[in-house]
Amino acid sequence: MSGSAPGPLLIDCARQQVRVIGALIIREMHTRFGRHRLGYLWVFFEPLLLGAMISLIHGIRGNGSSARNSFEFFSIGYVMFFLFRGLMNRAGNTIASNRSLLFHRQVTLPDMFFARHIIEGVACSGVMFVFTIVGIALGGEAPDSPVKMMCALGLMLLLGQGVALVIGAATSEWEGIDRLVHAMSYLMLPFSGLFFMVEWLPDWMQEIVVWVPTVHIFELLRDGQFGDRFSANYDLTYVAGWILIPHLFGLAGLRLARPRIGLE
Amino acid sequence: MALELIDVHKSYPMNVGRKHVLRGINAVFRKGERVGVLGRNGTGKSTLVRILGRVEAPTQGIVRSSMSVSWPIGFAAGFQQALSGADNSRFIARIYDRPVQETVDFVEHFAELGEYLNMPVHTYSSGMRSRLGLAISLAIDFDCFLVDEALAVGDTKFGRAFGARLQRAGLIIVTHQPSLVRQLCNRAAVLDQGTLTFYEDIDEALATYNSL
Repeated sequence: MSGSAPGPLLIDCARQQVRVIGALIIREMHTRFGRHRLGYLWVFFEPLLLGAMISLIHGIRGNGSSARNSFEFFSIGYVMFFLFRGLMNRAGNTIASNRSLLFHRQVTLPDMFFARHIIEGVACSGVMFVFTIVGIALGGEAPDSPVKMMCALGLMLLLGQGVALVIGAATSEWEGIDRLVHAMSYLMLPFSGLFFMVEWLPDWMQEIVVWVPTVHIFELLRDGQFGDRFSANYDLTYVAGWILIPHLFGLAGLRLARPRIGLE
Repeated sequence: MALELIDVHKSYPMNVGRKHVLRGINAVFRKGERVGVLGRNGTGKSTLVRILGRVEAPTQGIVRSSMSVSWPIGFAAGFQQALSGADNSRFIARIYDRPVQETVDFVEHFAELGEYLNMPVHTYSSGMRSRLGLAISLAIDFDCFLVDEALAVGDTKFGRAFGARLQRAGLIIVTHQPSLVRQLCNRAAVLDQGTLTFYEDIDEALATYNSL
């Protein structure tokens, strides 16, 4: 393996990683949204549009009077799902689309993922904020605990990141996995917790859905949004396990993958 | 200050078995040396450069570096094709912690790309790409520049400016063109059958290479 003497300090490594991630974020914004300044608004526009559409459809179906059918229930929930699905679906091409940058030895595989995830995270918090304001303007109540909502967003980001790292490592070895990922990200929509609270379900279904980590995050989100109006059921230690274990496997997988990735 | 290879082996998995590209390379490149590595097509020149640049790990052996070494500069190496030359310059300046605007100004002056500086790199000719890569690396300023083939230097304005810049920096260039080695280097080596042999006399290296 390679080595250098004397070894660099940890703080210098951290600074370098921050620099690299910052540069990757700017680069990613340019390649995805072009060089026009207004182009950056697209990063907000996509979740904004989809979230508004979904909540509109549900608002019409269930006459929109109770919190159960409210704009903020579906719009903000959808942004969270959009975040998770986005991280998952983009994971498969993260390495391929950044591969030429591996010619610079300070650029690492995890940095490529972190940079993308920061963009998605910032975009979705912005959209979540907009939907919260719109929800209040439409006659809804102000969120019970914005801090809980932000925690839910943070956990969703980390959960998606762990899964994305694993998918990234796996697709670098078996490309076909990417196709499965896209199908799965749609199929999991009904079980994700976006459309229901656990307490609304019959007992036998409750026992099943609590195994899904995103369900706990959605419960935390709704606890923050609606407070006592629903009784929320979540176990954050369970979610932490779903965050830590995939991170461990994903980062280890990327470490194994790095020497196997050709440089063109 | 030096860049050192100690018993470096590199092999790649093939459909059947492995392809052994480098079979035990020992070398020391000191700061300020301008070394030309000559090799025929397919002898592992690019592999060697990537290992020297520490962007690819050897299967066995040690790479030790106590000086700043550039990334492997070549036709496509290290660029995002969809972004412009200027954007690529900015990205590289950022990750090497150099002033962004100064880097772009230097590249504009040095790479002779004209209007193309703000066009996507995939619209560039190979000569333009190698000029862009070299110009950015000169702006970052390394102790040692690693160059993979792809040099459209010659006796042009760019070539002379590049040569002048190299007077105070080291160079490792791998190439199949003996003329480049004669023009730029003060030490030469021949890569053949996975081993690297150094010659103190450039003419001797060229003679050996020509007899391969």
